[in-house]
Amino acid sequence: MAKKLIEAAHISKYYRLGVLGSHTIKEDLKDWWAGKLHKQPAQETESREYIWALRDISFDVYQGEVLGLIGKNGAGKSTLLKIISRITLPTSGRISGNGRIASLLEVGTGFHSELTGRENIYLNGHIMGMKKKEIDRKFEEIIEFSGVSRFLDTPVKRYSSGMYVRLAFAVAAHLDPEILVIDEVLAVGDAEFQQKCLNKIKSISKEEGKTILFVSHNIQTIRNVCNRAIVLDKGSIIASGDSESVLASYGKMTRDQFLGVDYSNQTEQPGNENIRIKRLELIPEYQNQFQVIDVRTPLRILFEFFYQVEEAGELMVVLQVFNNAGEMIFEVASRNYSFKKGIVKGESAIPGNFLNDGLYYISITFVRNSIIRLFYLESCLSFDVEDYKDSGSWSGKWAGVVRPSFPVNLSQ
Amino acid sequence: MEKNADWQWEISAHRAWFRFNLRELFQYKDLIFRFVRRDIIASYQQTILGPVWVFLQPLFTTFVYFIIFSRVAKIPTDGIPALLFYLPGIIIWSYYADCITTTMNTFQYNAYIFNKVYFPRLIVPLSSILFHSFRISIQLLLFLGVCLVYTLKGTTIHLSWQILLAPCMILITACFALGCGLIVSVLTAKYRDLDNIMQFLLRLFMFAAPVVYPASLIPKKYEFIFWLNPLTPVIEIFRSSFFKPHPLPLSYLMLCILTTFIILITGVILFNKREIQIMDVI
Repeated sequence: MAKKLIEAAHISKYYRLGVLGSHTIKEDLKDWWAGKLHKQPAQETESREYIWALRDISFDVYQGEVLGLIGKNGAGKSTLLKIISRITLPTSGRISGNGRIASLLEVGTGFHSELTGRENIYLNGHIMGMKKKEIDRKFEEIIEFSGVSRFLDTPVKRYSSGMYVRLAFAVAAHLDPEILVIDEVLAVGDAEFQQKCLNKIKSISKEEGKTILFVSHNIQTIRNVCNRAIVLDKGSIIASGDSESVLASYGKMTRDQFLGVDYSNQTEQPGNENIRIKRLELIPEYQNQFQVIDVRTPLRILFEFFYQVEEAGELMVVLQVFNNAGEMIFEVASRNYSFKKGIVKGESAIPGNFLNDGLYYISITFVRNSIIRLFYLESCLSFDVEDYKDSGSWSGKWAGVVRPSFPVNLSQ
Repeated sequence: MEKNADWQWEISAHRAWFRFNLRELFQYKDLIFRFVRRDIIASYQQTILGPVWVFLQPLFTTFVYFIIFSRVAKIPTDGIPALLFYLPGIIIWSYYADCITTTMNTFQYNAYIFNKVYFPRLIVPLSSILFHSFRISIQLLLFLGVCLVYTLKGTTIHLSWQILLAPCMILITACFALGCGLIVSVLTAKYRDLDNIMQFLLRLFMFAAPVVYPASLIPKKYEFIFWLNPLTPVIEIFRSSFFKPHPLPLSYLMLCILTTFIILITGVILFNKREIQIMDVI
């Protein structure tokens, strides 16, 4: 059995919520005093709010493995990374380990824009914990990997963003720790370079036998890179084991998360005197074994509501889709119908190969006689579209709001 | 499971008060010098006068003080030519002020790095103090040059052996600034108000040191409090080693070293204890 390199036991971390600077000296003294009296952390004070970013996390990392950490935004991945990287302290618990750790939460940390590429290689290398001799020895390799040798004596502020990232990653790739902690944010730059980065990461683990902790929210990436994975949700580990089986349960988790409300209890039904919503549902036609919505997945939207308007008139339903930034991607509307009071069923669909990856919200609006808004339910459905890559390669984020697969044909 | 196995490192909520890891600091010595180098290169990029600014800043200030305190307020200068009197005081004072300002802002200015990577945080204030030490060395050369010009013009300068203490005086100033700065850095990170108060206090503090007036001006009954300030013996000894061979105020010097030492140790301990927790409030 491989040697254990990291042992994390019962790691918890809480953050204090509230406006920054709202804690005064007086409150701090009170906390401190309460802590002294009860011999327990003062976070039990009821009057203020805390959030547990991590709760009782335990795991081990063995030599030579690539361990993936996956979870939605806010699941606690970053906090865990920061604790392992010694940037922040856990509230309780303990991590012990053997070997030098290097964390890549960002490439090019500490780059100074006024300095030349050469100076920055040394600056960044030292910040990441490399010694001068080490950098001297690897200098040629770093330059070659970065491909910016011509601009070595140019201040990096004159670099294009691509060159900057290349140089930064080149330094990072030549770190020589026993354990490497990598955040997915490294997946920047053009596709070719990302492939290079990914290959480098793979070779670091395979050929050099390095141990890697890799964090991502992308299933595909984790599946390509890691042999074992841990799924985090709301600060707790909900699954861990070999990547394939763990990712399947991750898919199930995300599927449970969204979609669809059946308001069987009448008092809970959202609505007003005109409209009362009975059911809202998003049904994906999954394209992969993980049961995850990805960019290829067609979605059906089903809804059911009580139409409670007595007088004759026309009804129209409008669906709007927003992205995570709150921009409306599109809206679709039914034609006008003349309905009697009673249950109305509706259906719509979003085709596959249409939305880009990301988080989306759907809002629904009921309109009378094309002009009066009867009822509006904001963000009633939400879904997360995962990225998908055909070749199984990791080639970065596609740009654009939508991602249609219109053909691009060439001929000669 | 293996309990208490030979782990090389451990991360836990608890941080000891006395965890001063000199060896770790030494391992990062390359980083310290790289930061100094960065500061030197970066501070004169895209300036026309470049390194000349190192000279110009104290010269301008001296000139202004000369007009205000010597010509207008007519504060005596112990019989030393006014320009020569102000210059060393200003150089040492601004060294102190620069060191303490950069040290106390360590967390605010470097949060973007501290949030991404670990290294002993003490490296940052140490390197900025080295950077300012580099500047003060050049400024002291300037002072020697000015002295030379005055000698050629006939002003008598009595160099005494105490001039050999100058490096010690700089070291004391640096340690005092580092100690104060570290204490303030830990406090300001959490209570930002202190930042404003400190700027004000620092300006006032200049008048508590013999920068624009000689120590001989202080009434006897306040003398002890006045000399309690470590900067007082530093500036006085430095100045008198050039112009007015005083006997060395030995007891005050000892007191000054003791005060500095206590403040420095307090600062380092506090900083070491809090350096990581602070990242949650920044």
